[in-house]
Amino acid sequence: MAELRGSHGEANGNLLTRDFGTPDLHKIDVYESKGGYTALRKALLEMEPAAITNEVKTSGLRGRGGAGFATGVKWSFIKRDAPEPKYVVINADESEPGTAKDRYILENSPHMVLEGIMIAAYAVGANQAWIYIRGEYDEPHRMLMEAIGEAHDKGYLGPKPMGKDFPLDIRVYRGHGAYICGEETALLESLEGKRAQPRSRPPFPAVKGAWGRPTLLNNVETLATVPAIINMGGAEYAKLGTDKSPGTRLLTVSGNVKKPGVYEVELGATFRHVIMDLAGGPPDSRKVKVFWPGGSSAPVLPESMLDTTTDMEALAAAKSMGGSGGVIVMDDSHCVVRAAYRLLQFYAHESCGKCTPCRVGGDWAVRMYERILANEGSRVELDNLRRVSDALQNGRCLCGLGDSAGWVIDSTFRHFYNEYEDHALRHECNVGKVMASA
Amino acid sequence: MNTPRTQSQGREFAGTPGRALSQHVIDEIRELPARFPQPRSAVMPALDLAQEELGHLTPEAMTEVAAALNLDAGYVEGVATFYSLFHMQPIGKHRFYICTNLSCMLRGANELVDHLRKAIGVSEPGEVSKDGLFSYEGVECLGACEYAPMARLDHLYHYDLTPEKVDSLIEERRNPHPHLTPPPLAAPPHGGEGKKPRTRKKKGDG
Repeated sequence: MAELRGSHGEANGNLLTRDFGTPDLHKIDVYESKGGYTALRKALLEMEPAAITNEVKTSGLRGRGGAGFATGVKWSFIKRDAPEPKYVVINADESEPGTAKDRYILENSPHMVLEGIMIAAYAVGANQAWIYIRGEYDEPHRMLMEAIGEAHDKGYLGPKPMGKDFPLDIRVYRGHGAYICGEETALLESLEGKRAQPRSRPPFPAVKGAWGRPTLLNNVETLATVPAIINMGGAEYAKLGTDKSPGTRLLTVSGNVKKPGVYEVELGATFRHVIMDLAGGPPDSRKVKVFWPGGSSAPVLPESMLDTTTDMEALAAAKSMGGSGGVIVMDDSHCVVRAAYRLLQFYAHESCGKCTPCRVGGDWAVRMYERILANEGSRVELDNLRRVSDALQNGRCLCGLGDSAGWVIDSTFRHFYNEYEDHALRHECNVGKVMASA
Repeated sequence: MNTPRTQSQGREFAGTPGRALSQHVIDEIRELPARFPQPRSAVMPALDLAQEELGHLTPEAMTEVAAALNLDAGYVEGVATFYSLFHMQPIGKHRFYICTNLSCMLRGANELVDHLRKAIGVSEPGEVSKDGLFSYEGVECLGACEYAPMARLDHLYHYDLTPEKVDSLIEERRNPHPHLTPPPLAAPPHGGEGKKPRTRKKKGDG
């Protein structure tokens, strides 16, 4: 494995990443020597399923995939007395630009993920779990398969895990390159062998999910947090972080920083701490210009908002979101309009084509950016971008991909409209000038 | 059983015509549906096997996958063309999937693409080098942003890329040293695996 870049070891109150960096942590014996699978044992042998769900509710854990929904509440949507089969589906299709934390977890501690999955499956009464992992993740996939094999050999998976009469099975399905599969209903379509296009809701997956059955969908990091919650107790976990965003989460810091990496922080830490202290800030004494606090879909924040905290409430107040925890940092040697253009290309490319505003709007925005960056722009292109951005948002599409594309335009307009005007009206890029005057 | 549509029935398929699948691959594909709660889920693992054998998906292969899975050939093509890891054209022996999304772009990915293009002698993504060895594709975020700029090549991630590193990746593949360079990893088994790793041929395993 490549050099570990990010949190590991006992320091800094690491909860999930405490044992990362231990040689062979991906082996079941090493994982167990570090206290692994104690939570599963406790859950299976000492707790009622409803009590497990309650513990997760008490912890206040919120989904780490992007939407930040309360995990325990989501679990309680699955009716335990609903007829079999039910499924747990794990979203390991990490594709949000600037996000690598699920890969970081899977490569370091695949058993931690498996343990969380098994606890969740038992809590909601599902005997089978499916991990949907993105096709490009060859190494994490290999490690997961080995870990699943080890768990079978130990008898933690199979007809009677740890002696409990509750058959458990975990299977792996590889994605094939489609960002939209991060959206839960699109992921389900893909798992069923179809083009990954989001479904209309209701029915929600908790009622009619994978193969038409009640399904719990959770992100890798969310489930990797569950063993810690069961071990320490929900109330103790809830003491970490802020009131409404408890716990720690893994932030992927990338872009123009000296020490890019996946850092575990207690929610409520400032982005200044994350970007300047943990990741070392921009190189060559350049300055932070803008950062995406939660993946490319999270509306941008300018340098002046570095003291915004990482909890979801503070980010919502700043008109952004925690999203996937991908913190992309751009310094003052780069142009915001070009960056926004690159992201709009991404959203246009990844649109599944089901909803018209997203299918058409993304391409339209890309064309506006192309005109602006070719110095052929005018007020018309700026106005068109605004109109497209509006048309992409506010429930006009079945899933959030359209909204995300709109937010890129909106938020860069909000904080950097002068750069757009420089490009579109004066046909110049001020980035070079800023650098020259610095 | 649906009759698979073929080119002769008046409709052009995506992709370059070419070889069809060998019998053992078709046999393997026929075993896939049993691994899933519903057989349709087998379509992507089946296309994987087809692509693994042929390097890309030919119209013949998609038709055969459809026949083996009892699906309409147009349906199979519709799925195949949706996902970016399925290729409808020959891609060369080694494909650079080089991330050009924001985190990598901010650390020089576009310049790397320019360099790579010159180094393998192609002018656009998808074009195969004259020796048939290389092609490249600028791709979206590959989820290894702490090692940007990076690329996926031969089922491995390559980190902290520089023009020099790209050159040596190319050189190693042009002139492989049997003792110095480990062979590229074989494609891991795809789809619907549970229980034991790498037991693709086991029945009822998914």
